Amino acid sequence: MLKTFFQHRMTELSLTIIFIIGFGILVATSHGILLHRNSLQGFLTYLAVPIVIGMAQMVVLCIGQMNLAVGAMGGVSSGVMAVLMAQHHYPIWLALLIGFLVATGVGAINGALVVLTQLNGFIITLGTMTILLGFQYRLVRSFTIDGYPISLPNFGAKSVLGFPLILMIAIATSVLLSLFFSRTATGRRVLATGGNALAARLSGVSNNRSVLIAHTLSGALVGVASIITIASLPGINRSIGGDWMLSSFAAPIIGGVLMAGGTVAVYGTIVAAGVVRLVDIARAQYSLDPSIVSLTVGVVVLSTVALSEWRRRRSERAREGMKVSR
Amino acid sequence: MTTELLIENVSKAFPGVQALNKVNLTLTGGTVHALLGENGAGKSTLIKIITGVYRADSGTLKTNGEVKFFESPVEATHAGIAVVHQERNLIPDFSVEENITLHNPPIRFGIVDRVKRKELAQKALETLGFEINLNEKIKNLSVAQMQLVEIAKALVTNAQIILLDEPTASITGAETVKLFDVIRRLKATGTAILFVSHKLEEVYEICDIVTVLRDGESVLESKALSEYPQGEVVDLMVGRHLADRKVELREIDRTTTPVFELRNISTALGHSNTSLKLSKGEVLGMYGLVGAGRSELARTVLGLHGITGGEIFLDGQLIHIKSLRDALHKYKIGYVTENRKEEGLFLDFPVRKNISVTILSRLLRRLGVINRSQEDEVATKYVDRLGIKVVNNDQLAGTLSGGNQQKVSVAKWLAAETEILIIDEPTVGVDVRTKAAFHELILELANEGLSIILISSDLAEIIAIADRILVMRNYELVADFPNTKDYPTMSRSIMTSIHS
Repeated sequence: MLKTFFQHRMTELSLTIIFIIGFGILVATSHGILLHRNSLQGFLTYLAVPIVIGMAQMVVLCIGQMNLAVGAMGGVSSGVMAVLMAQHHYPIWLALLIGFLVATGVGAINGALVVLTQLNGFIITLGTMTILLGFQYRLVRSFTIDGYPISLPNFGAKSVLGFPLILMIAIATSVLLSLFFSRTATGRRVLATGGNALAARLSGVSNNRSVLIAHTLSGALVGVASIITIASLPGINRSIGGDWMLSSFAAPIIGGVLMAGGTVAVYGTIVAAGVVRLVDIARAQYSLDPSIVSLTVGVVVLSTVALSEWRRRRSERAREGMKVSR
Repeated sequence: MTTELLIENVSKAFPGVQALNKVNLTLTGGTVHALLGENGAGKSTLIKIITGVYRADSGTLKTNGEVKFFESPVEATHAGIAVVHQERNLIPDFSVEENITLHNPPIRFGIVDRVKRKELAQKALETLGFEINLNEKIKNLSVAQMQLVEIAKALVTNAQIILLDEPTASITGAETVKLFDVIRRLKATGTAILFVSHKLEEVYEICDIVTVLRDGESVLESKALSEYPQGEVVDLMVGRHLADRKVELREIDRTTTPVFELRNISTALGHSNTSLKLSKGEVLGMYGLVGAGRSELARTVLGLHGITGGEIFLDGQLIHIKSLRDALHKYKIGYVTENRKEEGLFLDFPVRKNISVTILSRLLRRLGVINRSQEDEVATKYVDRLGIKVVNNDQLAGTLSGGNQQKVSVAKWLAAETEILIIDEPTVGVDVRTKAAFHELILELANEGLSIILISSDLAEIIAIADRILVMRNYELVADFPNTKDYPTMSRSIMTSIHS
């Protein structure tokens, strides 16, 4: 029993160890500065968004599709929130709700388009991404919108027992998501679609419904990420969401989610997001070139995918007794 | 020196089943060698070992005086072996011409020589006496035309050894005649041909030598076909191990309203006016050759494709099945697919989740949360009930043996408390002992009141367990026999109805 536990959790365990060691090295070489209240707060606060957008990508990966529009959806959704508050003086809660619903709605549209056209989510979200980037530009132009009530950034800076509130929101969201996939019938049907769409269909699962749910959920998670973003940044401009795409893929893929679908790894995604954050911190600490971060994360993602694909083929071959195809 | 391919003591095991056990076969130039056996006897596996798709566990392969297995299909092609596999291996979006020369396109100055390519393809098609536009895309062809392109593809390589796995399964009589002319010509030039077919008349028409496989063993090894009459070959193919088993006739009450009835069903796939009745607790066998249209009928009726005419009755009530979801939840009809790996199971999911997938909505507690302990209970119940060998319910389905996997895919339908179960080729690729256990299981379920339609291409199986046997040929039900379970008489009548 313990052995199978470790086998299943191999990726998550090794990531945890990597995170601890990496964190330790950074603490040691910074002479403990990283452990100071402010830098630790900063580290944890800016971990919230990568976690939630990682989840947003994960729910689509688990049906074997992709959501390329994660960043553009976040840009539009947070832009809507900012514009409503700063220019139309909506109450905070209403502006955030509308922004959240916009992201969720776009997710639902992505899902509906995939179902209606029977095209892959890749091409559909590539299309909606481009459209949304246009919207985002019309919405925020090249300004920075920051004329909204101070209570929002104040809320974003709150922490409970030294733990940033918004990171707790991100983690709570992840826990709920984890329960959704492991414990609800709907979550399990979505995973069944990702695991084997044909078998799912023959078992009475509606694959169309699963696709719609996964994309809508992805949109809702982007909505949560937008709320976190607007609460933790001093202002909103059109760069928001621009760097979300790679990190949204990086966290779940490094965290052990298979590109082929059928799996989720909530804890793995969280820790992987932490590891990616460490690379960011290391860059700042050692004053490395910014390109190092993209380079490192890109290489790690590629090697993770290659490694998991190799493992999958090896286990398949072991099962089938097949040779390597050349 | 005549071409020769020698297979000695070749064995191959897949998890849970010994696919080949010390098989011997000698293929000589200038002869047509029949490889016979029932579905699952190991014919295709043997062909895949010869062509380097699978690796043999033990034994030797000798070609052109060299003792070694081919490492890959490419290597086999280079050694002069061409193969027409049972499954289609064409690229739908490429033209006929491109597909025929796919293995070895003629190259000139580093680019494909289109003129030469056309010539080659044209020549191969002419030998077959088959006219078709060379630029037509494969996806626009009929199944028979694709089959012919596949054969042309094998001819174009000028191979010394040609392996034909069911080459006539989907072509017409006239096309078969042309193919046989080609085979005779190739034979005259010293080519060695291995011919796999279920159609015994064809085998007797074209073949000289015969090897029979049964449950992975070569029970007749490279003997002159003329010395073995058809009946004897059939006996060797099916064996008497199952035929001799004591089977009891079951009483089925057919006076009451049938639980399930098809009336004049027509489908877009080619069935027309198909009718059948299934009584409560009955095992209705549906026999036919591969491709006869049995699975297609089942899948269409269950809502995977649309029916174009006719009516479906459940307990005498007219019903409309819109989807498999509908069939399962509304009408309690389940379908155990023949492709358990591709369609029946979630290989990377634990056994527990594989079983519960059909009943998730029944396992809910408050807030839509699944009751894990209840899920485990259900899984354990059916694991025990069907005797599925697992370490625990969390073992991944992909790590089970073939027979146990099949039981898992049955378990999920039993868990769903279905009243009618359509079981499609339940014992393909499982060994003899598991097969027998499975048969007992089906009978037990029927005795408990489950009504079962059993689709099978295994004659011994269907005679052993069905109460009534329908025979389908070319999407048409051609016979309906009450099953006396007497193997010699039943097999003869069924074979006659198939081949008449």
